Amino acid sequence: MIELLSYQFFQNAIIGGCLIGIICSWIGLFLVLRRQVMIVDGAAHTAFGGLALGLLLGIDPFITALIIVIISILIINKMKAFTDSAIALMLAIGFSIGLIIISITRGFSIDIFSYLFGSILTISREELLIISIVTIFIAIFLLLFHKELIAITFNERNARIMGIPVDLISNIFNLIIAITIILSIKIVGVILIVALITIPALTALQIKTSFNNTVIISVLIGVIGVILGIFISALYKLATSGVIVFILVSIYAIVYLYSKIEIIKRRTS
Amino acid sequence: MKVIEVRNLNVMRNGRLVIRNANFEINKGDYVGIIGPNGGGKTTLLLTILGQLPRLSGTIKLFEKDIEEFNEWEKIAFIPQDAINFDNNFPITVKEFVSLGRLGKNKIGRRLNKEDWEEVNKALEFMGISDIANKRIGEISIGQKQRMFLAMALVRNPELIILDEPISNVDPITQEKFYKKLSDLNYKEGKTILVVSHDLSAVFCRMNKVICVNVDVNIAEIKENTDIQGILRKAYGEHFYFVFHKHECKGEFEND
Ligand SMILES: Nc1ncnc2c1ncn2[C@@H]1O[C@H](COP(=O)(O)OP(=O)(O)OP(=O)(O)O)[C@@H](O)[C@H]1O
Ligand SMILES: [Mg+2]
Repeated sequence: MIELLSYQFFQNAIIGGCLIGIICSWIGLFLVLRRQVMIVDGAAHTAFGGLALGLLLGIDPFITALIIVIISILIINKMKAFTDSAIALMLAIGFSIGLIIISITRGFSIDIFSYLFGSILTISREELLIISIVTIFIAIFLLLFHKELIAITFNERNARIMGIPVDLISNIFNLIIAITIILSIKIVGVILIVALITIPALTALQIKTSFNNTVIISVLIGVIGVILGIFISALYKLATSGVIVFILVSIYAIVYLYSKIEIIKRRTS
Repeated sequence: MKVIEVRNLNVMRNGRLVIRNANFEINKGDYVGIIGPNGGGKTTLLLTILGQLPRLSGTIKLFEKDIEEFNEWEKIAFIPQDAINFDNNFPITVKEFVSLGRLGKNKIGRRLNKEDWEEVNKALEFMGISDIANKRIGEISIGQKQRMFLAMALVRNPELIILDEPISNVDPITQEKFYKKLSDLNYKEGKTILVVSHDLSAVFCRMNKVICVNVDVNIAEIKENTDIQGILRKAYGEHFYFVFHKHECKGEFEND
């Protein structure tokens, strides 16, 4: 197990995975509290269309995917009154366009598989560098606007009346969601991104503590899930993204049971 | 200085005129009670003044600036009527929540310093919720929630305080203490205060102006010779009868 760490590709996977785990579980908490995690799912699926489009046009597929994801988040936010329908619509459009493009070209089926389910063990040095720099910027934003984000998440109208520039911060936050989706494609793939966003936050919410502690716990769970997932999948030659999600769900189940037992204990004592 | 100036304001909601041709001004240091029947338009009026509802016509000025250009929101503390209807699972402690009151336009992206936390502690203490400071906001009683919002308003150290029925669930001792605090803020620090209240005694004893809202908006100064009966009938209808004598305020309100 330890010798795995001496491989460059494995180091890249661990570091990149941890950084993405931190960002996903951090922004995930805000999204879970706003009941908006499905926006991520919808947008991530449109990323698939964007990736295929990039491959078709011979452009860096991550750039076309980023553009498509930003557009789809904008559209979903525009259709505020029907958010869930908007998400379903975008998801279907993005995915079907991707499928059509694939069936036209047929050539890049292997790439497509890795986009759908991630390919964390193939993260290159350059990709790791990009992930690191972007993660730092996102973390600075989240730290700087921590209280503002809480206020907006709690009650958007009142945040406006307090003078918080809600639109500016929300727009930047949406951009961060888009970037996070793109960066996460390598790690878990478009299908399972929503799990990395949702499960750590949901688990942390079970613990019923202060906001700051909830953020910290959510991030810790995200990181633990990614690290364990990478190790176990490498040792047993399993699909990494699947194992990561399985471990996150297991942590959730353990915390859930533990909190229920605590409640019963308190009742009986 | 005119803190609020409303001219020819009309507001529609769902195709119905809810505020009709409102004209009034609130000066610095005014302590204003807003009264009127349920559905009369009190909340609508406040949200419109705060720029959160569209106007059909008319102008609103805050601190002598057109609402479109106004951006000194840190001068204002507002507690909405539905404040306490929040998601009880929201993971935040009372103290963390009250500290959000320190946020505002000029403080964006700033970390709270020692002084901020001192203010937070003072407000918690004042509202008598220091002992629940580390409880989660979903695990406290409704009255405690209202106290928490009041603490959050106080911690802003605002020039204009706007409260939409802030204390309907607060026990009478704390209500009294809070009205006293508002009076102090008003007398000693010259804060301008607007409170929606159904407690007519509190309004006529403590406040210097009253706004009656029932689609029509009427404002009156509360003085010894004010025709209180007339004011109330405008809001509640011709058959409304409310006995009130200014001297009754003594003892009830001024003993501390
Ligand atoms: N969200 C809304 N959408 C459409 N119409 C509304 C809405 N809220 C209130 N109204 C309407 O606007 C009118 C004024 O309501 P408003 O809430 O301002 O009254 P209020 O004086 O604050 O009443 P209360 O004492 O019950 O708080 C009512 O006729 C009501 O039906
Ligand atoms: Mg109201």
